[in-house]
Amino acid sequence: MAAIDVLPPRARERVDRLERIWAERPGLLGWLTTVDHKRIGLLYFFTSLAFFGAGGVEALLMRTQLAAPNSHLLSPNAYDQAMTMHGITMIFLFVIPMTTGAFGNYLVPLMIGARDMAFPRLNALGFWLFLGSGLFIYSAVFAGIAPDAGWFDYVPLALRRFDPGLNIDFYALGLIFNGVASTLASINFIATIFKLRAPGMSLNRMPLFCFAILAVSFSLVFALPALTLDCVLLELQRRLQFHFFDVGGGGSPLLWQHLFWFFGHPEVYIIVLPAFGIATSIIPTFAKHRMIAFPLVAIAELLVAFIGFGVWAHHMFATGLPLATLVIFAAASMLVVIPSTIQIFAWTATVMMGRPEFRAPLLFIGGFITFFVIGGLSGIMFAAIPFDQATTDTYFVVAHFHFIIFGAAVFPILGGMYYWFPKVTGRMYNEPVAQASFWLSFVGTSLTFFPMHVVGLLGMPRRVYTYDSGLGWDAYNLSETVGAFLLTAGLLLIFGNLVWGRFRGAYAGSDPFFGGTLEWATTSPPPPYNFAVIPKVTSPYPNWDRQDRTEDRPRLEEGVLTLETGHETPASTVIDGALDEIVRMPSESIWPFALALFVALVFVALLFAHYAVAGFLAVAALLAVAAWNAEEPETA
Amino acid sequence: MSAATEAVAVERRRVAHPNGWWGIAIFCASEAMLFGLLLATYYYLRFRATQWPPPGVPEPKVALPLILTAVLVSSSVPVALAARAARAGRVRVAQVALAVALAAQATYFGLQIHLFLDDLAKFTPQQGAYGSAYYTLVGAHHTHVAVGLLLDAWLLLRLAGGLTTYRVNGLLATAFYWHFVNALAVLVVLTQVSPSL
Amino acid sequence: MIAARAPRRIELLQWFGLFGGAAAWTLQHAALFAVAVARCNSGSAQWGIDATAWKLGLTIGAAVVAAGAELAAGVTWMRTRGAAESEAPPRGRLHFFSLCALVGNVLFLGAILLDGVGSLYWHPCGQA
Repeated sequence: MAAIDVLPPRARERVDRLERIWAERPGLLGWLTTVDHKRIGLLYFFTSLAFFGAGGVEALLMRTQLAAPNSHLLSPNAYDQAMTMHGITMIFLFVIPMTTGAFGNYLVPLMIGARDMAFPRLNALGFWLFLGSGLFIYSAVFAGIAPDAGWFDYVPLALRRFDPGLNIDFYALGLIFNGVASTLASINFIATIFKLRAPGMSLNRMPLFCFAILAVSFSLVFALPALTLDCVLLELQRRLQFHFFDVGGGGSPLLWQHLFWFFGHPEVYIIVLPAFGIATSIIPTFAKHRMIAFPLVAIAELLVAFIGFGVWAHHMFATGLPLATLVIFAAASMLVVIPSTIQIFAWTATVMMGRPEFRAPLLFIGGFITFFVIGGLSGIMFAAIPFDQATTDTYFVVAHFHFIIFGAAVFPILGGMYYWFPKVTGRMYNEPVAQASFWLSFVGTSLTFFPMHVVGLLGMPRRVYTYDSGLGWDAYNLSETVGAFLLTAGLLLIFGNLVWGRFRGAYAGSDPFFGGTLEWATTSPPPPYNFAVIPKVTSPYPNWDRQDRTEDRPRLEEGVLTLETGHETPASTVIDGALDEIVRMPSESIWPFALALFVALVFVALLFAHYAVAGFLAVAALLAVAAWNAEEPETA
Repeated sequence: MSAATEAVAVERRRVAHPNGWWGIAIFCASEAMLFGLLLATYYYLRFRATQWPPPGVPEPKVALPLILTAVLVSSSVPVALAARAARAGRVRVAQVALAVALAAQATYFGLQIHLFLDDLAKFTPQQGAYGSAYYTLVGAHHTHVAVGLLLDAWLLLRLAGGLTTYRVNGLLATAFYWHFVNALAVLVVLTQVSPSL
Repeated sequence: MIAARAPRRIELLQWFGLFGGAAAWTLQHAALFAVAVARCNSGSAQWGIDATAWKLGLTIGAAVVAAGAELAAGVTWMRTRGAAESEAPPRGRLHFFSLCALVGNVLFLGAILLDGVGSLYWHPCGQA
């Protein structure tokens, strides 16, 4: 839809009413009470970016320590904390909140033609809980007692006997806290994608990014309980002397690992699936071609997530478990590659069949495909049990998962930042600098992580704070550290470019890249109500259906699905997207913030074993829930 | 049009489940996974034990837990009636049905807590994996029942102020939650008494 | 509230095609794991579970269901032949899901057979 400011009077009236109804308070109170998915998306974006910086510092500390043999820059315990926090930060406080909380929140309602998420206040709660969990865990860092048993926190090291301080309690309680936030966000995504799609958007007409978010959300819903349970059992054992993980008490240390990896493997697909979604959004736009084999790409997203639940014990091939129990995991691990491969072929074919324009976002996707193929190849090698047993706990594993996590998850995030930057800010970044930032990041990433394959095969173990000289590892480690700093430079160049663009970039307009999905059909940035008229949808690329978009104008005039008489959005049937009812949406509220505050205090009380205080605060939290529920979505 | 009339009109016109129903359904899916894994943990630990329960720990009672569970499961009937009545706009019927359900569920809960404390006097979770698994499984289930009781009480309070679409959706969500908890109760109690079967 | 009309046969075929293979593999995979753990653990080994019978039964059963799901997906695909990728529902959506199911069930059938063959061949409880 073209500029909103040139409108006939009746349309103008409707838009004015929408502006009034959907406006939120300005200032700090506005941010504390916001329920607008775009503002919440921005809150997630900047918060997870800050945690990315923290995780990056932890990485640079480790790499600096490992640059030379027998280094004593960091003590063993300091290294353990840095290593553990690097993993926890990057996974729980950066990648997931960035891809789901920032990208997912901002884009999903826009892409499906809705005015907000299904549960706007729950959305806000998710953010404040996420922030609370991050601050909770990082207070341990500032107190010098950060978790130090690795992000995987294996028992018996994590039990009271070997780790008596509060470090591990910060870990267990912090991850339970974080898990609640992610679960609520996932519930919101599923309900939104199921119910709030614009009428006409049946599931076969839904953008691929939304399929990715749907797959991620289902994965989180079914995987997080395993981690939550594991952490609860750990705390019951640590605090109340239950017996789950000690053989003497009839337990097993492997119980921790089974539950952890039952969560942990789906988790890695959770990390990478939204990145697939970003790639499948960028490719059609810059290739100027619809995604080849659209249905296969859509189902591949869901298949990866689904089969990924059946492979967890491939993280335990070297634990001494009987082959009889492990063989089915080797089988499934070999097959889980296939859906990802289907996607790679589809992406490459789309680029080849189109007329690709290699601007910065597509370059990052090119980097992503390169790293994903390499990381995928090293990954599939681990499905062979003997190979896995030879390379377990070596740097070969570290190489594999960083190629995937950095190469295949972060590169699309960076590409996506460039791609949607004009939509969110209304301004354009600098293209030549953006391309330079890609190449610097690409070289930096390759130099940091590729040598790890070699040094791993040469026998260097992972999770070590230093190593002896004369083992042939020195040069590789030094080049990895150099690469890490190059990569840092590339990242700083990206952020510098975006900051510059925000204040000095050229005005971008609503659709600078001729994208096919609905976020490009509204202004940059979108108004609080997203669309003045709920768009008519007849394909997965509604913004390329120019006939439908031209029809929006008379529909705005006539008031067809403008819903400007209240704070409303249409709800459709789940499978076929037929209009079902008009839903009233809640407005700003302080209760999500207040509830998150009480929940955070509950966790603090539990940390210090003040159980009565925790109980009292839990009651306060329940009262906050009651107050929230008593504020029903207003009638016009 | 009054809020209640509007709520009934919405219920009649709508074809799909409301957003709130989906919200609670997915939440219950998450909790189902939690309990599935808790049950798996129980059996994982049991497979490793040559004696379950270990010597010195009494075998679980069978009759009383099963009877109590039957009482809980039967509360799904008044809960379903309350939901149906609310959708048709019959607030009084909904309130009475919900109150009956709450009474049955609260009785169940009270008696179960008594049994829980009774068990604790006989064997503790600190004694070994059996006790740890037993009390965690049963305790998790009771916690879910307690949350359900709070939902019932809150809804009764809100329904006293009349019917709105939001409250009807709340009741539908609570009904789903109870059906889920009751189904889970069957699995939990069967596992709990399984060493005696 | 919920539409009371009975679902048409093609809808049932579509849903079975989409979920049948996945459900079959999930049950087989989880049950194979449980059987292996039960057989190889000290406590449960004394229960006398016939692991081979279970593995064979689970694999054959799951394979039959997955093959049936693939057949259902094929029938749905044929009945909606010619539907465009983004055609209006229900025809477009039926065709879309049938295509998804056709690919998915091949994968699940492969997983079921590989799981079954692997677990039957590698049956000793010795360490991997």
